[in-house]
Amino acid sequence: METDSLIALNTLNHGRCRTWPFLQDFCLTCGICAGSCPASGVDGFDPRKLLRMIALGMEDVAVSARWPWICTMCGKCANVCPMDIDIPGLVRRIRSLRDREKVPGITHKGLQAALETGNNLRLPKDDYVFILEDVGEEIAQEPGFEGFSVPIDKKGARILTTIHNKLVNTHTEDLKHWWKIFHAAGEDWTVPSENWEGTNWGYFTGDDAAMKIMTGRIAENMERLEIDTLLWPE
Amino acid sequence: MKKYHFVTVFDLLIEYIRDKKIRLDKSRFKDRMATYHDPCNYGRQAQRHFGHGFFEEPRWILSQCMDHWRDLYPCQMNQICCGGGGGTLTTGYNEERIFYARRKFDQIRTSGADMLVVPCHSCHGQFNAVKKEYGMETLEVKYLWELVADCLVVG
Repeated sequence: METDSLIALNTLNHGRCRTWPFLQDFCLTCGICAGSCPASGVDGFDPRKLLRMIALGMEDVAVSARWPWICTMCGKCANVCPMDIDIPGLVRRIRSLRDREKVPGITHKGLQAALETGNNLRLPKDDYVFILEDVGEEIAQEPGFEGFSVPIDKKGARILTTIHNKLVNTHTEDLKHWWKIFHAAGEDWTVPSENWEGTNWGYFTGDDAAMKIMTGRIAENMERLEIDTLLWPE
Repeated sequence: MKKYHFVTVFDLLIEYIRDKKIRLDKSRFKDRMATYHDPCNYGRQAQRHFGHGFFEEPRWILSQCMDHWRDLYPCQMNQICCGGGGGTLTTGYNEERIFYARRKFDQIRTSGADMLVVPCHSCHGQFNAVKKEYGMETLEVKYLWELVADCLVVG
């Protein structure tokens, strides 16, 4: 039998959307991923369909669809896949192919702000330092935390922390938990005055180059402040 | 090349507790029932990509703070995502995100817990944003380190 005439194997592009070669071509079409996915059913989405789309060369459809953005990349599908296909990796790769201006919501805009200003909020340094010191003063008024202050840019501290942008935006109370623990433990810690952003939204948008810049800035802070240990960011 | 060390939130909290750098008062929440949510990236994804999922560490820390807590089912490698991961809190697809959380809230309701402990900013944001949709306004969503800070014995 002339299989080539039935299945046009030579038209498959094995480099397409790969996180490693032939990723989508390992799929057995069993559908266990679809059964495991909490997002299955939204807009007719399920991981198996997305994988088939890529395998069949419908890359443009996949890239412009909402599907890859509805997925939370939780990895439940990959965990149950009998062929160990990294489906979240594939989703992230598809996201990376979207025109940056068409990335939904604030995800790319926040990342762009971070690349330009050092944080997702475009929060100026003076305002940021004011917020940290203000919250620090509130802690110092609590029994047992007398004398507490926020060690910003402390050279040679043992531990460097970063800040999740929402903690200097709408959730400043949540800055206090770790700071109180540091105080009680007698920790020698610090927080940077610049490039303090702890999130790295390039992870979500599939932007490896941006992720590298954000990570590099944390390393620069560690070098500048002569820090040995980083508390793993958000 | 200069090498830097890093610690996870779990490593650092365990160090403080084991080395007796901090003391915790377990009676603070003695009348409460908690449950723990495994974030995808600290758990299943970390296991896949780095060979170690942080499953036991947060549970040990939780046990230092509270006598009464129980696991969700399923959990750890078979855990169900909260629906707030992968940037979905920032894409604007909110209805989809709420729908996604339905199974998670079934799990939480079944556990009987009135406090949900999480070590992830995305999960924390999602649970607080969505709990009302599932009639669980009174569920207290707490960061793992917030629980530790609440139980601190100072002075």
